[in-house]
Amino acid sequence: MDSRRDTLKIIGAIGTTCAFPFGADELYGQHAHVPTDAKVADSAPYKPKFLSEGEFAVISRVADLIIPKTDTPGAVEAGVPAYIDSVAAANDRHHGVLRAGLRWLESKKFLKRSEAAQIALLTPLSEAVDKNRVKTPPQRFFLVVKNMTADGYYTSRIGLVRELGYKGNTVLSRFPVCEHPEHQG
Amino acid sequence: MPGKTFDVCIVGSGAAGGVLAAHLAFNGVDVALVEGGPRIDTRTAFNTHAMPFEFPNRHIPVMRPGVAGFDSERSRGVGGKTQTWNAVAWRQSHRDFKGGSIDGAGVDWPIDYTDLAPYYEAIEREVGVCGNLDGLEDLPDGVFLPPVPMKCSDVIVQRGAAKLGVKVIHVRKATRSTPSATRPACHFCGNCMAGCDVVAKYNSADVHIVPAMKTGRLQVFSDSIAREVSLSDENRVTGVRFLNRTTLSEGEVRARSVVVSCGCVQSVALLLMSKSSRYPGGLANSSGELGRNFIPHFTGGVQCFLRDLIGRPTENDEGFLDHAYIPSFMHTRKRDYARSFGVQFNYQNRRGVGWARSMPGFGKAFKQSVKERYPAFLTFSPYGEMLPKKDTFIDLDTERKDAYGLPLARRHVAYGENDMKIFRDMQRWSVEILKSANAEILTVYDKPATNHELGGCRMGTDARTAVLDANCRSHDVRNLYVVDGSVFPSASEKNPTHTIMALAARTATHIAETLRKGEM
Repeated sequence: MDSRRDTLKIIGAIGTTCAFPFGADELYGQHAHVPTDAKVADSAPYKPKFLSEGEFAVISRVADLIIPKTDTPGAVEAGVPAYIDSVAAANDRHHGVLRAGLRWLESKKFLKRSEAAQIALLTPLSEAVDKNRVKTPPQRFFLVVKNMTADGYYTSRIGLVRELGYKGNTVLSRFPVCEHPEHQG
Repeated sequence: MPGKTFDVCIVGSGAAGGVLAAHLAFNGVDVALVEGGPRIDTRTAFNTHAMPFEFPNRHIPVMRPGVAGFDSERSRGVGGKTQTWNAVAWRQSHRDFKGGSIDGAGVDWPIDYTDLAPYYEAIEREVGVCGNLDGLEDLPDGVFLPPVPMKCSDVIVQRGAAKLGVKVIHVRKATRSTPSATRPACHFCGNCMAGCDVVAKYNSADVHIVPAMKTGRLQVFSDSIAREVSLSDENRVTGVRFLNRTTLSEGEVRARSVVVSCGCVQSVALLLMSKSSRYPGGLANSSGELGRNFIPHFTGGVQCFLRDLIGRPTENDEGFLDHAYIPSFMHTRKRDYARSFGVQFNYQNRRGVGWARSMPGFGKAFKQSVKERYPAFLTFSPYGEMLPKKDTFIDLDTERKDAYGLPLARRHVAYGENDMKIFRDMQRWSVEILKSANAEILTVYDKPATNHELGGCRMGTDARTAVLDANCRSHDVRNLYVVDGSVFPSASEKNPTHTIMALAARTATHIAETLRKGEM
């Protein structure tokens, strides 16, 4: 898989730029901390391994309703459907839940509905999840897909860096002291 | 090296094994160090700076691709858990050593704070512990590098806790806040527990073992999984038998004395595996206490958002993980249980957002609510002390074997009345402190979970109730020692590694003297 090989290359490159042991001065110039913008896992084209093309389209729509595009991209652009498929492909225990939910959505002609009708169909499922009263197969499906969507989105570059503004993994010569006046005393 | 007999053979290269190896080798003692895992090149082996999106399954593996190490419980690599620890370093206090007498529950250590104080200091000078001088009776000060400033969020918690009379102090960690001749200062890149590739954070391989090898007195047998400590008919240990990790071929190191330092549960397992006609229940186990008195820490946990930080810009604050700590305070207050708890908090790194799942709803509102709370997220983990009891112990699974054909160790943990009283109280206090800091509570764990593994091979003056004497020396077999978390007679609520290292330094001094006097 090409994307995997690229990932290995990037990691290898970080390794070779470090020297040890070294004094503090030598360190800062040599260290590659900032994640590179080279092609990484979540930008590669994806062929579903567990889901059929039709199921993949449904999952993509559900994921994009859970985390939609706003001023930052949503779940689909962040590669969440591919993440969900690859997690499912690697874990048998999700198969039954996902397939049952997909069959149910199919019976409701989910993709043919308007956005408002799609949201209306998912809302009671989400409420059951929030109340911790998950009983029916569609509710279980929503719980699993929401969890996977949140995991996949917020571990993607789009979710973590662009949406949430992750700033770590850098070199700081000093840790910044809290100077917000309202936090003192 | 057939034929060679070492003065000391140490099994395990973590916090205890590393300190022992260096202190003995620098004292002119011939040392063999047997480690189940491979040698690890700290600067290139770990995924220290990886981001989750570099991996299709978003899981950052411990080792870089193709690098061996940390592949199972029994085989980790030279440096052991110090490669991936969080480096928190507390001295225990008099109360922790003599809790049995003070509280009337649990047992006393056979040594006191004053016995260990010089060794705590020696370790601080060697490994570099940063921290503040707080002057607390229960958390003795030491020789510290300057503390790392608290995070903004720590200051908010500190202010909230102060309203309840609870102190928040700077954490103390074996991570350099200033450079030394051989190690740089921490540069706050964030993922300490993924392995520190510049060794600002202490690990025993780079700080103790590699320098000790240069003396020519230390030979490291890596990829050598100990399977038995050999015993002679004269009731003396003669060395260690091991399996090569990759070829499974057998090997042996012969030595005049043996120190078992495999990390609590694995040390107990190795002794239990070392059966003989003299010790059918495991080596040095005439008391029947080996594996008993297992007293792991148990944690609670609260996840929350600090309202003062909701909706604010994200800070670059994950470096060094936790910067602050709430030392035990209940031992001076009225309570209906023995012992106490301390709180580690705000140690999450910001590369994981697992809590996003728990935010209600979906759609734009959900997305907005996660974004606003991301800079405000905080975890709180109180650690409680477990009292020893019959139904909490370590034994071997006679049915199941690991990849090396060795029996798996089993941990049996039951929470007693005192444990649960501590658990409920520490959870209650955690929520109170966080509410006082104006936090929005997300989750409060309803069950305790075990953490630092301690006990199972305890020290004590009475050979009928303890496996080891006050020098970590076996009561039964006088040239056998055990040094690691398993030797703790009582756990305290404090992270144990500094005490393990100080015990290792003290035991090394004892072993070197015993060898010099010809009394081994």
